[in-house]
Amino acid sequence: MNKNGPGYYPGYHTLDQQNFWDETTRKVVLNRVHHVPEIRFFSPGEAQLMDAVCARIVPQDDRDPAQRIPIVPWIDERLFTGRGDGYRFEDMPPDGEAYQLGLRGIEEIARHLHGRGFSEISIAEQDQILEMLHDARPPAAHDIWKKMAVHRFWMLLVQDCVTFYYAHPWAWDEIGFGGPAYPRAYMRLERGEPEPWEKDEKREEWTAPGSSLSEKFTHVAGLAEHRGGPQGGTH
Amino acid sequence: MKSPIAGQFDSPNGKPHMLGPMQRIRTPMRRFAESEEVDYAIVGVGAGGGVLLQRLARAGFRVVGFDAGPFWDTERDWVSDENGSHKLYWNDERITGGEDPLALGANNSGKGVGGGTVHWASFTPRFHPSDFQTHTLDGVGFDWPLSYGDLKPYYELIEKELPVSGPYFPWGDPHSYPYGPHPMGGVGDVLIRGCTRLGIDVSAGGPVAILSGSRADRPHCIYRGFCIQGCKVGAKASTLITHVPDALANGAEIRADSMVSRVNLGKNRRVTGVTYFDSEGREHFQKARAVVVAGYAIETPRLLLNSACPGFNNGLANSNGLVGRYLMAQAGNVVLGRFDQLIRMYKAPPAHALTEHFYETDPKRGFARGFAVQTVSPLPIAFAKQMMTAKGAWGWGMRRIMMDYNHWATLGVLGEILPSADNRVTIAKEKDQWGLPVAKVTFNLCENDKKLIEYGKQKTIEIMWAAGAKEVVQEARYAHLVGASRMGRDPAQSVTDQFGRTHDIANLFVCDGSLMPTQGSANPGLTIMALAARIGDYLIAQGETIFSSDRREMTAPKIRRDLSPPDTWGHGMPTV
Repeated sequence: MNKNGPGYYPGYHTLDQQNFWDETTRKVVLNRVHHVPEIRFFSPGEAQLMDAVCARIVPQDDRDPAQRIPIVPWIDERLFTGRGDGYRFEDMPPDGEAYQLGLRGIEEIARHLHGRGFSEISIAEQDQILEMLHDARPPAAHDIWKKMAVHRFWMLLVQDCVTFYYAHPWAWDEIGFGGPAYPRAYMRLERGEPEPWEKDEKREEWTAPGSSLSEKFTHVAGLAEHRGGPQGGTH
Repeated sequence: MKSPIAGQFDSPNGKPHMLGPMQRIRTPMRRFAESEEVDYAIVGVGAGGGVLLQRLARAGFRVVGFDAGPFWDTERDWVSDENGSHKLYWNDERITGGEDPLALGANNSGKGVGGGTVHWASFTPRFHPSDFQTHTLDGVGFDWPLSYGDLKPYYELIEKELPVSGPYFPWGDPHSYPYGPHPMGGVGDVLIRGCTRLGIDVSAGGPVAILSGSRADRPHCIYRGFCIQGCKVGAKASTLITHVPDALANGAEIRADSMVSRVNLGKNRRVTGVTYFDSEGREHFQKARAVVVAGYAIETPRLLLNSACPGFNNGLANSNGLVGRYLMAQAGNVVLGRFDQLIRMYKAPPAHALTEHFYETDPKRGFARGFAVQTVSPLPIAFAKQMMTAKGAWGWGMRRIMMDYNHWATLGVLGEILPSADNRVTIAKEKDQWGLPVAKVTFNLCENDKKLIEYGKQKTIEIMWAAGAKEVVQEARYAHLVGASRMGRDPAQSVTDQFGRTHDIANLFVCDGSLMPTQGSANPGLTIMALAARIGDYLIAQGETIFSSDRREMTAPKIRRDLSPPDTWGHGMPTV
């Protein structure tokens, strides 16, 4: 692994640019890095299970343990403070309840298939269970999926995981995203040229460590046209 | 009329209230007493409410604008950060359902002074002349009670007030813009290249309400790419920075963090003011001689429905049952293409190039109406969510795709979905934090919509391949919300007349996107503002009649070019 962390932009650190950010933005980003909230919504058992699940939704095995991006504490904080996205599908319970139900469902599937909890099975077995949720073919806990569409739970979970992973400046380093640019500006708009303080891409072969069940690309629930995915603004 | 004025403009830290790095609100803000009867209470200070507030204040009316969200200080409150901009949207619960449920929240709502204009991408194409009479021309939709010609002078005026930057615009009614086009970012290059190779005419560098050159106390764009997180630069127009400061300077009051819960009905089928909750949850009543609801396509019908009372048991202005009906979203499929070369789509405004080549009905396509194709440039989190649905990505697959973020470009379809009575806003049994029933949104596509979306999607995919993409995927989605309190000539078929006046109640108006009977394939913001300026001219021309009589003058007013905010005139380029 690259000692700078994963990605094709070795030596690129958005945080090095923080003196060029406006004060409000700097506070928000640094707070994210330095003040990870305590778990207050999930029970200890739920939090442990969430850790195991989120470690597969956005795996970070290739990251130095000190450089792993916290995800579960931020989902917990969102649910604890009741911060929603402004809508709820009519076939879904409120987000907090959806998480509690979904975690119970995942645990039941693990016990049904392997006789052990999700946290205790192998990574490959965990990936297999998550793939079943992704495909909307859960083999157990059907009473739970009757209360809540499994593909909606899946999208809620993945959406939250990627939101908090890619909100972190270490993830920006990984993907070569420029980060905040006020008041300084971006000046080189064309041909993907880097700013003087950005890095050029240095591509190399990259192989996902361990199991790579999650490297396949298939549509969620097998549907090419998703009706009502989680969405931010576009145009 | 400039008194009484009570103190300096509020700022919790004693610093000036900033709108961008240079513009500040110096004016002490007027405060009206609740017992004082104001002329107009405007509910919602967004695209429509913001422009109307400014017009009425300039003409000397006593006017209060209510907004459920904060009065932003852009230096203190906004960030160059995707996840940190969550508070710009209407995040209170709403229920969404139907066969094709709409995503709400960040996708199509605003909360706070400026409303959705603080985080719009700010594409500002006009509607085409055909949009005003789709029923007559194509046998679909509903004719507007006004024509393109009625709105054209207001388009021209608002394009100067914002102002709009862009090249000569060849579609619909061709026209030019007061500010020149922007330089191209990577995604714009992709659209231009793909379209040009296919012989599709395309507009580079606008039209967008983003300054391509500095004007007065607003700097030009710095291409930082965070348009839809709120423009800290002040280059992108929002009514917060274009119209609200002038409204305050002319004696308007803004009551922010105030959630209007009811429009109150008095005697003789006339409204008397609004009931609202302040930021601490205390209930108040503001007397007003007329009320304008400008809460956009969900909160406007919700407020009217929640204001049901004896005589209007199904909601205010809802005697024909049409409040909440004919809600529309535009098809907004996003087509994502991966290129060998770097794109870096986070640079430049997400909105900077488009084509309206496919806007009008073409009988050969087998469906009515059309679509536009526009640049959209999601930042990393939005892109990851799109990949979750477009490719089903998760786990290592998600990590791998995201490591290629800088190689992807995204284009958006913007397609006209036809109005349908069953696509609607109703009241749910769930309650919000003030105890008010929340909105439920039901949405289904019709056959024409499905054909249009399929065609638009395939055409956009074709453009992406032609631009040289090595992989192309797409995500189905929707953009914008309009309708749900539509205007029309026939009181049996609409909620308001062409001036936003409700057919049922002579001193109750609507002034926002919910007025639109159809939506074209143009982003609605500019048209909402143009309608608001026209409604403003009407109310000003009518004067006291609005407050004292039920008489409805249906003659359009003369346009008032003397009511624009400062710096509107004498800047920019001569227009063609």
